[in-house]
Amino acid sequence: MKLLLSLLLIVSSAVFSGPKVHNFKLKNLENRTTSYEDVKGEELTVIDFWATWCKPCIKSIPKFVDMYDEFESQGVQFVGISVDGPRNLSKVKPFAKSLGIDYPVLLDTDNNVMARLRVQAVPTLLIVNSEDEVVYFHEGYTPGEEKMIEAEIKKLLNE
Amino acid sequence: MLRLLVISSVIGLLYSSSAFAQLYGTNTFEFQYGNLPYEENTDLTTSYDQLNLFYDQGKISAYGRFEHFLTPFNDRNYFLLTQKRLQYDDDHFKVRIGNFYKTIGRGLLLRSYDIPGSVYEDSFYRTRYAFNRDQEGVDISYKNDWIEASVIRARPLFNPLPPNFKPDSARRPDLIEAIESDFYLTEDLSIGGAFMRSRSDGRDDYRELASLMYNYNLPFNLQVYGEYAFDTDIALFQFKEEDSYALYSGLNYFYGSFGLSAEYKNYNQFRLGSGYNDPPSLIKEHTYPVLNRSTHVLSTANESGFQVEGFYNFEDGHSVTANITTAKNEIARTNYYREYFLEGYYQASDFLSFKAFVDYATDERKGEENRISAGLISEKSFNYEWSFALDVQFQTYYKTAFSQNVENYYASIAYSTIPDLTVSLIFEATDDLLLTDNPNTFDIEDETRTWLGGNVRYKINQSHTLDVFAGKRRGGPACTSGICYEILDFEGVELRFTTRF
Repeated sequence: MKLLLSLLLIVSSAVFSGPKVHNFKLKNLENRTTSYEDVKGEELTVIDFWATWCKPCIKSIPKFVDMYDEFESQGVQFVGISVDGPRNLSKVKPFAKSLGIDYPVLLDTDNNVMARLRVQAVPTLLIVNSEDEVVYFHEGYTPGEEKMIEAEIKKLLNE
Repeated sequence: MLRLLVISSVIGLLYSSSAFAQLYGTNTFEFQYGNLPYEENTDLTTSYDQLNLFYDQGKISAYGRFEHFLTPFNDRNYFLLTQKRLQYDDDHFKVRIGNFYKTIGRGLLLRSYDIPGSVYEDSFYRTRYAFNRDQEGVDISYKNDWIEASVIRARPLFNPLPPNFKPDSARRPDLIEAIESDFYLTEDLSIGGAFMRSRSDGRDDYRELASLMYNYNLPFNLQVYGEYAFDTDIALFQFKEEDSYALYSGLNYFYGSFGLSAEYKNYNQFRLGSGYNDPPSLIKEHTYPVLNRSTHVLSTANESGFQVEGFYNFEDGHSVTANITTAKNEIARTNYYREYFLEGYYQASDFLSFKAFVDYATDERKGEENRISAGLISEKSFNYEWSFALDVQFQTYYKTAFSQNVENYYASIAYSTIPDLTVSLIFEATDDLLLTDNPNTFDIEDETRTWLGGNVRYKINQSHTLDVFAGKRRGGPACTSGICYEILDFEGVELRFTTRF
């Protein structure tokens, strides 16, 4: 019976659409608390979850920095969310700056926002529309996947 | 019956949720057919399921985590609502009742964590469950432009005990009551403080602790952070052998493509309660398998030291990272830990990259001397349609307990069809006597032990991922997101299905 209930929950989970992004608040690299409303984009918001210890993240971030330069004028805002815990927190700011990140970076030290946005691994990239709906979800990064993400942003801007 | 009612209510909510409310979550299902090596008579078929449900309506949200573990052994099985939370959140206030995650400062006094998607198996209880350390109680926070404050009354989880452990109260043996505040004096300077008292079950007296912290964004891209936590009955800044204190300080700097982080620690007699605090360990967090399992474990009884890490990212994608770590423990005798790490990443073209690392360490407390680790990783992409990755790593060190030169080998080869499918083979070998010897026999087996396993990951769509493992997997200490724990060896087949909805 219990197994059946578990299976029912798994199956039922497949039929619902994703959530809206709530107005979460996190500290930024200057140690000031910032809300999602403060940093989100006019048309689209691209949220990249990363960590200093995550090897694929190091490869993906420079691609997102380039993409931000390309799409910023079209109302697309990139936001980085570092999920580093206290153990690595001191490295986050110099790491982000040395990679050339010029968009806001927020610190999700307790992984509260990560869990609520259903992120289970880094890197994970979400694209959120102006209605705060998550319209694209991409887990992991292999070189070349930025082309797919770029195409998705263009498609969403044209909708 | 009660559980069935709860589940029925949740499913009812699921179907009745409309435009004004959101119901969403994640589900992780894991099935194992296999056993632990050397335990031939205890073949196990287990299934574990974790469902995380969120329900949002305006400024109010609710959360529940259900965990289900099924084995041939009834005493290990459970089906429980392991976390529940009600939350109110507006521009200034946040109130959480139930299970939540909260860290004070950098974790010197209190540290919570949840490793999403992690499934932990305890070697003694042989029960699988989510590896997290939450607080159960109440957390009220307030913020405006110049002050942030929070009040907590909660019981931290003692996570070595599985969710079905009886009595349930043993899993939360400490009660903490704390107040924390940060004042933003200028745009760049903040100071803060925390007071916490805690009581362990069976004791009448409270232990009283406090913490002072500051953050200063200095000119020339410098930033400093400092925190000093202590038992309130000690003389401040004396750092005596009999005192309980933890001092942490970090400085970071960047200039162009160069970044630097320097940190200092001095901890003494600062394990709190059942271990609900976790001061920064200042040990480099490695993701390379041979180094990840060699991590130095922080001792809050007595440890001091520093860590310096520098990195440079070249414009054409190359990068260099160097890290120096030292620590000293004075428990009965003085033990030193030293580690020197260098990593280089070279991007030969858009389709070909190389990464190499070399690491030298000595961990006297762990009994590992002259530990040398090195590795080379190469990735070749074919027009961004499919790619190969080759990863070769080696490690050797002198193990003082066995007077043995240990050698560890790791190799993996992976094929990916971008972006959906990854297939990989992993080989590991060691001659470490602790691992080659079968504990069930009288003889000491010293033949090199090997592990060979294969992984398949298939991203079915944006909401569903399937992972399959078959073969033998090496266990040992592992660190994820800064949290270290022990994983068990496994041989057999494992299937994991992850859903987000």
